Amino acid sequence: MMRITDHPILEDLEKRPVTITFNGMDYQAYEGESIAAALLANHIRVLRYSEKNREPRGIYCGIGHCYECRVTVDGKRSVRACITKVRDQMCIKSQDGDDS
Amino acid sequence: MKYDLIVIGAGPAGMSAAIKAASYGAKVAVIDENPSAGGKLLGQLHKEPKSGWWHGRKIAREMETNLRQTGVTCFQGKEVWGIYPRWKVIMNNGEELQSENVLIASGATEKAIPVPGWTLPGAMAVGAAQTLTNYHRVKPGNKVAVIGVDPLSLSVAHQLKIAGVHVVGIFLPPNNEFSKDRSTPSQMISYLSSMAHAAPNIFLKFAGNMAKYPFVQQVGAKFYPRFGIIIWGTPFYLRKTVLEIGGAEQVEHIKVAPVSQEGIPNEDRVKTVDVDCVCISGGLYPLMELAGAAGCESVYIEELGGHIPLHSPEMETTQPGIFVAGNITGIESAKVAMEQGNLAGTVVAAKLGLFSYKLIEEAQKNVKEARENAVITFQQNIAKGREKSQQSWKEYDSKGVKLYADS
Amino acid sequence: MSKDILICRCEEVMLSELKAGINEGLTTAKALKLKTRAGMGICQGKTCRPLIEQIVAHYTDKEIPDGSGLTFTYPVRPISLIELAGERKGVE
Repeated sequence: MMRITDHPILEDLEKRPVTITFNGMDYQAYEGESIAAALLANHIRVLRYSEKNREPRGIYCGIGHCYECRVTVDGKRSVRACITKVRDQMCIKSQDGDDS
Repeated sequence: MKYDLIVIGAGPAGMSAAIKAASYGAKVAVIDENPSAGGKLLGQLHKEPKSGWWHGRKIAREMETNLRQTGVTCFQGKEVWGIYPRWKVIMNNGEELQSENVLIASGATEKAIPVPGWTLPGAMAVGAAQTLTNYHRVKPGNKVAVIGVDPLSLSVAHQLKIAGVHVVGIFLPPNNEFSKDRSTPSQMISYLSSMAHAAPNIFLKFAGNMAKYPFVQQVGAKFYPRFGIIIWGTPFYLRKTVLEIGGAEQVEHIKVAPVSQEGIPNEDRVKTVDVDCVCISGGLYPLMELAGAAGCESVYIEELGGHIPLHSPEMETTQPGIFVAGNITGIESAKVAMEQGNLAGTVVAAKLGLFSYKLIEEAQKNVKEARENAVITFQQNIAKGREKSQQSWKEYDSKGVKLYADS
Repeated sequence: MSKDILICRCEEVMLSELKAGINEGLTTAKALKLKTRAGMGICQGKTCRPLIEQIVAHYTDKEIPDGSGLTFTYPVRPISLIELAGERKGVE
């Protein structure tokens, strides 16, 4: 379980479930959270493979600076998963190798 | 669209400036690339000695409400592509805003300490772990190692523990070109002693107490137990380093070695520790790319975290009408950033003729006070850094480039 | 003894390549960047810029200069050609 529930200091978040698709699979996410957080909550860390060495990459800076978490969202390329909120029925794909 | 002030960045500094200027009647726009306003506030959670928990997300929400109440136009989720004389700000939707005054409050970003294997998914900057844990409420991992001993990493280690994440230990970074003093136990102890005076969390408090006595500073590194000291269930290793991060598709383990007082690892005693997440902390550095591209001159000041735009006591850069506030001017706490924002907002409002210049002095005093009362300091010798920054400005100013009369 | 480390995450440039550049006589961050492409990727050097500056300072025994030898250019966020052409809604 990756979700933090019953935080001793912070109040609970409002959670409205939505469905997102990552590389063809459906996952549950919560409205308002980032794509990166939603995927991590579903145990997905590998967001893409690097162009040159084809190495797996995932969240690094988490604040939109490093572009390591870039994914294709509804056809739009190089969207930063860490600062983009999920939407219901959002279609997310890994950017692999030479096509980015 | 024409404004009296365009603010870039809706963190503590940018929002404060916008609210301040707007409350005096200025027409203000704020541009921020994130989906929600708040910047680094969003992940912050620590205890203030007098006022209790500093809950950044809540503070951000209050400030955002304030922005709307003072009539500030917010362009949230929009990137700035360029700032052209004098001044046009172009956003990524092609929209162009105009103003004689632009405040760049782009904040800071993390200074990396590269470790072999640090690109594996699961290895992240410590700030990412903070946002995931406190803002999104997703664990960055089930077994987490923290690399780097500094106020931010110790705060995040504490926050992870509060959230119920298993932290396997806090380690020193490997001794390499990038970690320098941060990988040396004896240097770490003296560094911590200079920062932990108010100690908003138990790790920092421990470090502060340990380092308070000159005796401990001298011999502490030597006698610090190799097996670490357990604080609130978390081993705090000042004599162990992470040599590399390993795993096939993502982080699976780290390789840990004991180090000498000087930070040299004993490679005969390497141990493998299973983890699924590694948080790396190397400190922050001011993010001045926009200011740089707009032609603002910079100065390198180690005590402030790196290159900062040269700026006057009124927060104006070498480009007339371009102001800076917050972490772009040096790494300090959110409260200092807010006062710097208030100052910049006050200066712009005064420049617009909305009230007397006298209030500027008061705003400057507030920045100083916030600095002196800061619970968390991120940089050693911040006061010295500020002095250097002022000195650099004086040298620049004395070359005869006068921006505008301040009376 | 120590393993090689990736420094520029975007262009996938290793520490050994940067050191080789310095050994060939490149003594500024800018020269190193142009030679190796470190810092020229999609994040525009936000992660590796300070690292390159540190490497140069470390191996040339010089202070990091006030005017970062690495220039900042617009846009500070990457733009696709489609965006440049003004067709924000368009998808390849």
